[in-house]
Amino acid sequence: MTVQYSSFIQGALSLLAGLSVTIKSFFMPVVTSQYPREVLDITPRFRGHIKLLADPENPEWAACLVCGVCQAGCPSHSIKKIEGEKIEGQKRKRLTSFILDFTTCSQCGLCVENCPSKGIGFSDDFNLAGYKREDFYFDLVQEFNKRKKSS
Amino acid sequence: MVNKTEEELKAAFSELTVVKEDYNQKGYHLSCDVAPKDIAAVAGFFDERRFYLAVELCVDYRDYLEIVYIFSLHMSLCKVKITVKIDPVKPVLPTISGIFASAYWYEREIREFYGVLFEGHPNLTYLFLHDGIDFYPLRKDRIPVTDNDKRELSSFSPEQSEDSLCINMGPQHPSTHGVLRVVLRMNGEYIEEAFPVLGYLHRMHEKMAENRTYPQFLPNTGRLDYIGAMSFNLGYVTALERLAGITVPERANYVRVIATELNRISSHIFWLGAYLADLGALSPFLYVFDDREQILDVLEGITGSRLTYCYFRFGGLYNDIDDAFIAGTKAVISRIRSRFPLYEKLVTGNVIFVNRTRGIGVIEKERARKNAVSGPVLRAAGIPTDMRKLEPYACYSEMNFEIPSGQRADALDIYNIRLREVETSLQIIEQALAKIPEGPFMTPKVPKKLKPRKGDIYHTVETPRGELGIYIVSDETDRPYRLKLRVPSFSNLMVFPELAKGNLIADAVAILGSLDLVIPEIDR
Amino acid sequence: MGGLVKLLDTEMVRLAVGLVLALGFVVFNALILTWMERKVAGHMQLRIGPKEVGPFGLIQPLADATKLLGKEILIPKAVDKTLYYLAPILIFIPVIVAFVVIPFDSYLLVKDINVGIVVILAFSSFTVLSILLGGWGSNNKYALIGAIRSVAQNVAYEIPLLLALLSIVMMSGSLSLKTIVEAQKGLWYVFVQPVAFIIYFIASIAETNRTPFDLPEAESELVAGYHTEYSGMMFALFFLAEYTNMFIVSSIAVTFFLGGYNGPFFPGFIWFLAKVYFLVFVIMWFRWTYPRVRFDQLLNISWKALIPLAFLNLLVTGGLLKL
Repeated sequence: MTVQYSSFIQGALSLLAGLSVTIKSFFMPVVTSQYPREVLDITPRFRGHIKLLADPENPEWAACLVCGVCQAGCPSHSIKKIEGEKIEGQKRKRLTSFILDFTTCSQCGLCVENCPSKGIGFSDDFNLAGYKREDFYFDLVQEFNKRKKSS
Repeated sequence: MVNKTEEELKAAFSELTVVKEDYNQKGYHLSCDVAPKDIAAVAGFFDERRFYLAVELCVDYRDYLEIVYIFSLHMSLCKVKITVKIDPVKPVLPTISGIFASAYWYEREIREFYGVLFEGHPNLTYLFLHDGIDFYPLRKDRIPVTDNDKRELSSFSPEQSEDSLCINMGPQHPSTHGVLRVVLRMNGEYIEEAFPVLGYLHRMHEKMAENRTYPQFLPNTGRLDYIGAMSFNLGYVTALERLAGITVPERANYVRVIATELNRISSHIFWLGAYLADLGALSPFLYVFDDREQILDVLEGITGSRLTYCYFRFGGLYNDIDDAFIAGTKAVISRIRSRFPLYEKLVTGNVIFVNRTRGIGVIEKERARKNAVSGPVLRAAGIPTDMRKLEPYACYSEMNFEIPSGQRADALDIYNIRLREVETSLQIIEQALAKIPEGPFMTPKVPKKLKPRKGDIYHTVETPRGELGIYIVSDETDRPYRLKLRVPSFSNLMVFPELAKGNLIADAVAILGSLDLVIPEIDR
Repeated sequence: MGGLVKLLDTEMVRLAVGLVLALGFVVFNALILTWMERKVAGHMQLRIGPKEVGPFGLIQPLADATKLLGKEILIPKAVDKTLYYLAPILIFIPVIVAFVVIPFDSYLLVKDINVGIVVILAFSSFTVLSILLGGWGSNNKYALIGAIRSVAQNVAYEIPLLLALLSIVMMSGSLSLKTIVEAQKGLWYVFVQPVAFIIYFIASIAETNRTPFDLPEAESELVAGYHTEYSGMMFALFFLAEYTNMFIVSSIAVTFFLGGYNGPFFPGFIWFLAKVYFLVFVIMWFRWTYPRVRFDQLLNISWKALIPLAFLNLLVTGGLLKL
């Protein structure tokens, strides 16, 4: 009986200890960030969807050589339709179309690593929501041109 | 132990040719080809010597089907590969599920993926593919499933028994953490029998691997176990490095250990929160999320991702760590340490929690061995086996750490072991941080098109949930000929029906939670 | 004019007005308590809780209620329609009746019945009946198990609850709530009868199905227990009843043990509400701290610990009073 009694007291004390933890938390400042009003910095290595990088020698052009290595190496076949046009007087092709099917992309970054011309990087855009599937077929050339214009 | 086993095996079965293998290359010490009629006797031999059946799998070599059994010991390093070659047209083989309980599901899996008929197996029905199949999916040729086989495969429906109350726990249920379904045959609030039904998240990663090059399978590894993605990533990468003979720079090895251990901590404390949520307390869940968030921030800083890291590459890492990572890791260590008293007060000491978990889900040593459970569940059963110690990979051999083990083998013990393992991981990280050398993080010469040598390998690593075994057969192309994943949750779930029998439904929830199941890993 | 006052003072009108006010208070109280629960839960879990709708998210419960009201009432195919409809209504009616006898202040009291506590306890038994009806009528296995648990739990915990209150009744010599409050003008009964208070408080948490005794609706085991199949307004009624029950058990505790509306400086009803909401806060505090007990443990606590203790307490009280 005495053993039961002491274990009963111990149990009650353990319950009180639990209460002390939660009440302390009750008066502690919150740790959450209030998202739309308060946006945290994202790490520079953040792996978002991919974007085309500019050619360092010729910033008007994307660095892409239209070789198709990224397309061949993509595990989920997310990179579609890479096309370029030959321009007189230039050694390499100029990219005209680069479609990323983001619905199947797993953001693994194999294309970024495989790219021989360092022409693909990660975008830091994480606000990706859409109403239909077609919203996620990104035309990266268009996006590249838009970025070029705004900068 | 290896020599002793070899001699005994030769003595017991004189007609067998036991081959001694190069452990460093193959991952097993002995291999032996057995005739189909002898397999039960051989399995019995290993059962007597306290081996456990780590995995049973099948490889289709077109001319013949090869069933591979990996037998392994808990306390000393001795792995034996037993193979049985069977006719691909009429594949029949005696079952060993009567000897090793862990074979029960593996044989069902082989039955539906390859069409191998296991004579004497009590229940050869669908394990994953409940929607039905027309062809055996993992066979290299298209072998149609006959109508008779289809009928046999789909003949199991546990919920349709008359005059008993059957409850479907899942696939949408708050405490099955994903899409596991368990059919419970109840007697009032007591469980008479439990039948786990798998396959709601089956994606056939093993077939996917056959259709992808080795690097292309890397992102898949994170999707198998999304809570401990680092360990799966590491397991796959180290297995392939061993197969292809790629050396890894020291620095990369240390970073691998740090990152994996950080991930292990986040997995363990995440389990703690989820387990308490199963038991009805929601606040700890939010507290551990706070802690876990700090770890994820650190990992995101180097990997660029918060859940499916995909950080390791063949021969090194995706990119190097920076000072912010080291500072962040140190901050995490002191933070987690400072949180132990809080969990002690809120959970460990709580009389309600202790009474809910003490004495339920007891896994005796023998049951643990027969079902090949691993990880914290096995260690709670009093068998301190940890692949980090038994078969050190990366640079675990240079780390000094203790493996906790339990006595009562109940859910409370499993809880305590997991908390102590967090402390172990912290110690490992501290040691690794102190010793981490400068240097390259990537081996310079790794071919883009990786074509490993012909042959196979069985490589194990310790994930937060237990032993992950990766069996790869290479045919010198850039894709695996066969890739089999021996996942820890799969074996750990196998023991659940035995544990649940005769318990209350509330206990079943507590037992299921204590096993720390990750469903995508089970279903693959 | 004089006639009107006379009319208002008649028993029937007073009762009718009281019931309407009680109804209003029940809804208002539930709104406040849901807001409070979410805020308490939020801050105990280091987050904010509702904050978008209105200042400090005060309007959030109204928005939720509107949403629930606007929902289609879904009737599953296999339910027993009569029982299914009856249950949420039946659970809601008795909680209003309790408001008739609770003394908010020395004058804020609809009717001082000389067997007030008996009325409350008698009507509160309706709750378990309606949970059983709802669980059975839903034709759902989880709901059925939840309902069965609820019955066993309520039967077990009504006894210690009654015994604990009985010792106070013995001391004050009355069943009328107002008399009991008046008797505590000097010393609150909680100081005289701490054991009875603890027993009552534990039992009342179990009676209202709150954590750690929330087995009838244990969401990690039984999905949502007896109200698994209810949605929209029917669910809202269960919800309303749960929060009102919390208020009622707390107000009984305040009336019996914490001196009711007695207190210095402020008007009585402020003291009363402050004490009640403090107890409600404690109940919420428990919920966001503890895991759930198991069913056999739950019954063991009542039959093996609380009931013998309550009997002992009653005996000692009786003996001391006789001396």
